[in-house]
Amino acid sequence: MMNTKHLTGCLLGAGLALAAGCDLKVTNPGPLQDEQLNTVSAFPALVNGMSGDLSVAVGNYIDRGALASGELAEAGNFAAEQQFAIGVIRPEDVNPDWANMQQARWSAEDGLRRMARVLGTSFDTYVDTPRAYLYAGFANRLLGENVCTAVIDGGPAQSDTVYFVRAESVFTRAYNIAKALNNTTVANAALGGRASVLAWQGKWAAAAADAALVPNTFVFNAIFSTNTARENNDLANQTISRRETTVFGTVYASVFKDPRTPWDTIKTSSGALQTGQDGKTRFFRQTKYTSLGSLVPLVKGAEMLLLRAEERLRAGDIAGMTTFINTERGLYTLATVTAPATTAAAWTLLQSERGSVTWLEGRRLWDLRRWNAEGTNTFLAGRSKCIPVSTNELAANPNLH
Amino acid sequence: MKQPKWSCALLLAVLLALSSPVSLPAQGTGTVSGTVMERGTNAPLEGARVTIVGTRLGAIVDARGKYSIRGIAPGATQLRAQFIGYESQDQTVQMTNGGSMQANFVLARAPLQLSGVIVTATGEESRRSVGTAMASIDTAQIARSAATNTQQLLAGSAPGVSVLANSGQPGAGATVRLRGVNSVSQGNSPLIYVDGVRVFNGRTPTNVGGRQFVSPLNDIAAEDIDHIEVIRGPAATTLYGTEASGGVLQIFTKHGRDGAPVWSFSTTTGFNNMGHVGPKSDTTGLFFNKCGGTLQIGDGTKFQDATCPSSGSWLRNGPIQRLSLGVRGGTQGTINYDVSGNMDSEDGVLRRSGANRKGLRANIGFKPTKNLTVDVNQSISRNESNGFPDGNSSNGATLNISRGSGSNFKGSGCADTTVVCVLNDSLFSSEVSNTTNHFITGMTLNYQPIEAWTNRLSLGFDYNQADIRYLTPFGHIRVPLGQIFETLWNRQFLSADFASTYRKQVKSNWSTSTAIGAQVFDSRLYSTDLQSDQFAGPGDPTLISGSLRQITDVSDQRVVNAGFFGQEMVGWRDIFFVTVGARVDGNSAFGQSFGLQTYPKVSASYVISDESFFPHRFVESLKLRGAVGDAGKAPGAFDAVRTWSPVAAEAGKPAFTTNQVGNAALGPERTREVELGFDATALDNRINLQYSHFDQHTYKALIPVQQAPSLGFAGSQLINAGELLSSGHEIQLSADLVRSRRFELSGRVGFTALHTEAGSLGGQTLTIFALGRTVVKQGLPVPSYYGLQVQNPDAFANPVVLDNQPLGSTFATRIWTPGLSVKLKRLTLDAQGEWQLGGHNLNAIGYQNANLAAWQPCYDIQAKMRTAAAGDSSGLATVNALDRARCTINTKIARDYAFWVESADFFKLRSLSLTADIPPRLLRFGARNGSIVFAGRNLYTNTKYTGTDPESADQRDDTFARRDYYVFPTSRSFTATLRLGF
Repeated sequence: MMNTKHLTGCLLGAGLALAAGCDLKVTNPGPLQDEQLNTVSAFPALVNGMSGDLSVAVGNYIDRGALASGELAEAGNFAAEQQFAIGVIRPEDVNPDWANMQQARWSAEDGLRRMARVLGTSFDTYVDTPRAYLYAGFANRLLGENVCTAVIDGGPAQSDTVYFVRAESVFTRAYNIAKALNNTTVANAALGGRASVLAWQGKWAAAAADAALVPNTFVFNAIFSTNTARENNDLANQTISRRETTVFGTVYASVFKDPRTPWDTIKTSSGALQTGQDGKTRFFRQTKYTSLGSLVPLVKGAEMLLLRAEERLRAGDIAGMTTFINTERGLYTLATVTAPATTAAAWTLLQSERGSVTWLEGRRLWDLRRWNAEGTNTFLAGRSKCIPVSTNELAANPNLH
Repeated sequence: MKQPKWSCALLLAVLLALSSPVSLPAQGTGTVSGTVMERGTNAPLEGARVTIVGTRLGAIVDARGKYSIRGIAPGATQLRAQFIGYESQDQTVQMTNGGSMQANFVLARAPLQLSGVIVTATGEESRRSVGTAMASIDTAQIARSAATNTQQLLAGSAPGVSVLANSGQPGAGATVRLRGVNSVSQGNSPLIYVDGVRVFNGRTPTNVGGRQFVSPLNDIAAEDIDHIEVIRGPAATTLYGTEASGGVLQIFTKHGRDGAPVWSFSTTTGFNNMGHVGPKSDTTGLFFNKCGGTLQIGDGTKFQDATCPSSGSWLRNGPIQRLSLGVRGGTQGTINYDVSGNMDSEDGVLRRSGANRKGLRANIGFKPTKNLTVDVNQSISRNESNGFPDGNSSNGATLNISRGSGSNFKGSGCADTTVVCVLNDSLFSSEVSNTTNHFITGMTLNYQPIEAWTNRLSLGFDYNQADIRYLTPFGHIRVPLGQIFETLWNRQFLSADFASTYRKQVKSNWSTSTAIGAQVFDSRLYSTDLQSDQFAGPGDPTLISGSLRQITDVSDQRVVNAGFFGQEMVGWRDIFFVTVGARVDGNSAFGQSFGLQTYPKVSASYVISDESFFPHRFVESLKLRGAVGDAGKAPGAFDAVRTWSPVAAEAGKPAFTTNQVGNAALGPERTREVELGFDATALDNRINLQYSHFDQHTYKALIPVQQAPSLGFAGSQLINAGELLSSGHEIQLSADLVRSRRFELSGRVGFTALHTEAGSLGGQTLTIFALGRTVVKQGLPVPSYYGLQVQNPDAFANPVVLDNQPLGSTFATRIWTPGLSVKLKRLTLDAQGEWQLGGHNLNAIGYQNANLAAWQPCYDIQAKMRTAAAGDSSGLATVNALDRARCTINTKIARDYAFWVESADFFKLRSLSLTADIPPRLLRFGARNGSIVFAGRNLYTNTKYTGTDPESADQRDDTFARRDYYVFPTSRSFTATLRLGF
């Protein structure tokens, strides 16, 4: 028989041995702890992440923004999108849009603070610094153009124009550093971004001056890719893959062969015209973004021409406006237009051109909103004009109560 | 990644084994034999066990009530006869060398077994000393339930137990709750122990296409289960520590018994069958019951399905086949064994759906020394289930078939070219498969150096592996180039559990029981989500067949929980017992500033019926009990830490994005429960009544608090912030109404009343699932439906809609489980039903299909609306406001999921079985006993819920909130089983 004391001791010791002798450490490789990003070697990926967050915000919003501004019509079954389409933008429906936009802004601005802290005096000469400023600028512009109220880092509600002020500041930093580093692409993008936010602050002359420095053929895009689902252009998914939204029922459905607003129709295998996901609405498929990896412009030389055109119109120079519009149309090999006879007609032309050039780029709601406020456009009459503070922000931010 | 360090546990086990030289007890020569019969009816108690107290010698009573035990040492021998549901009985015989003794037993029924034992965290404890409610699902209950898995067994089995089936997909796991909900974020699944070894109590990831998960709990075949003990509430589970506030299920599989090998064989045949699908008024059954010919939806759009089966219905009878073979026996006093294997195969009621299961189990017990017993329990099983896309999937069966002409699968080939032509059979070309392998091995050593001192050490390893796959093949109508989603999932759970109990009689009236113990649980998760898109051509694709390949998620986690406990029980005259204990836990997922967690408990039990003053005229036994105790739930790995996720951006470049804010002060949530109740038997043990009231308070609840998105982290962060309140009543009443040798009639009913309520949540309304309109909000049940509500639902007027309205509890608040058993000679008829009342479900099928004019209950209403839109509103005079809101065709009127939150009250006949014991004269091939069981499950459902099934919920949407989003309902089954013993 086994020695009883021996066995008893072994059993009694078992608990303590198991509890004390084993490795109790938790492991969870994958996510990085915050302090692990405080190194220069992590910054390229950190700045790529700013770009990625911006693309997520843009890519997921442009479908809803298109519905709210009449660029597309609803053809599916999503409850929130149906509300956007009828001009109702509710706080409970905008949680993802608000969060994506805010995350894009915060990750860029927080990243810049981290980079400045780690890089010290070499911050201004670091190769990715201007890119980081650029993404901060576009994130602020995206918010300024689309939300009704500014909220910064859990703070109180402020005027939405705060975002344009911040955007102007960081676009200026991006431009200056990029120029010093001979990064022409970033410099042009910063100029284009600053031109727009200067305009939205009423600084039209300065805006036109910046816009004039951007080459007509220049394009700076939000990057999308088929590489991973997070990098996908969601509007392409909703229109190409799912048929949730349609050009049918919009003003663009009666515009044919305009390379700026392309769409087509498709047929079922039985030869019938395909309907949307709701099974009843005609499906006119936008073909501006034909792939989940299609890029979305953030700055275009064509838009810069229209900024200059609008500056001219505001100055009462309809001929000058028409010249810039025809230059823009030439970029797309479209026929020139004659100068409108009246200011009202000039606004109609300008607004139409701007609608075509920035179609499905998440810019239209802001244009309609500012023109509505000035009395030159009535599309948003009786409709929501911007994205309210989301229910999640309202619930979690004590400074809003 | 650190290397696993199991060495300490394994080394300990090896040392223990090596240091225990096998020494067989001296063999005696005496024999004792006799009978074990039931008091009153004098019927043989087949399956009862007679043992020699203090040894492993014993025997099982046969069909004639006889037993025989050989090899008994000379001297005074104490015999004990035991059978679940009966009072045990002792007899002492004076065995002589080579002698042959006779000992007959007559056992009285005792549904309330004050003299039995129950397995707890400290080991076996006398039932009379336990201060909390106990519920067991015994062998007889298992046999008559016709259940094929553990979750089916649990449905309607005991008060406080709720099971929601979730879906009719073969192999789909259910949602199991004990005493409702006491955690918002950490799950409410009970802990699971199999033969004393803790196993993983969660679920597999949810299939992307089938949108249901698989529950490893169901890998244990019902045929293998001896009994289940259900331990409800923190007051009873305190010593199980962190993670135990959802209760504990103790599953005991069949074990070997001394004696010659006894073979058991069973074979089952039958079929699954689906009755009517969807609203009763819809004669097409959401176009499942009828798909042939020209059909039309509410707006008059006609369609044909060129691929509708020749039967005119998508539904079929799915064959069921089951085989089970087992053997058990043992060499008296040295080794015993129970080995079984089983194979199950069944087809679902829709094409391509079915499940196959194979399992092997071996339980071996031996006694290497006089005072040491070792039990080694091993099981391995493999499940392969094949389903179909369903739920919130654009390729889903219910979504497309129920939409009629609105199906996403349109094409040509229909006889009538003037109507919409759909090809819904194409959706079944997708492959939804879940393949799981589950291996459990455990070893339990019981060492009893002296009668008063018992020591138990259990070592266990639970290995779950799953391949969860959703394949859309090349050439698919909707995804022409094809696509695969695949999750490779592996969950390992290593446990070591030690408990030591010392019992002592102090003077004549006082007894004590002192227990200490320690446990270590090491939980590991390896999971990889993969996706492959755009195959080059047809064939049988793999993950590398697509031109686009992604690793979409990887989890590689290890969490360790270690703790120890101490407990002191003091008994007075074996009538009154007070138990005080505490458990101390550490968990590697706790935040840095949290140390060890202490969970105290105290309970008392008073067998007042043993007092001399107690009147026994009607009530034979009455035990009063009360307990208060804490248990907890731990946060997940790294929930406390601020983290960033590596992602791709800028077309495949490395990038980071925010992941989680982090909370360094994170600790477990704690639930404190007060439980009071009594157990009573009356009228010659014909009436058994158990009542419990419980009151739970979860404080420091782990609440996923939404962070202000403007702070950069869009998600929520767990904080110990909230309070949850839960209380209820549980009643279990059983009655032997007629008891005779030829005829027995017994009834039983369980009742559970549950009240849950969110306490303070820091002023927040927690949105659990926005599209499911589900929240946790102070003052409302947990969770609740919440949102828009029509204030004048029955008025024949336009709807008046208010926002932010409570719409009802998600889960049932009252559960009735009536059962009836009739035994006439060799025939036994048993029925088990279940009412679940007070719960709600969101009928998202109605919401979506009404908008598509494909919801039959809206057809007439929408026709009147169309007429009204054309100028004649007279028809609307008979349309009430709720129907106007639900069936609106006016895009200017907001539609909302909230209008489709419906009462999910239901009654289901869970099982109905007829068992015929085969007379011995008809038995062949050497069989010693046999029976034939005709059984059905889910034969009848009564509900006013208009979706597919009040139990349905898409498990990829959310596993806490519930939304019936095109979920295929549960089917019914009919089976015939032949059981033979050799």
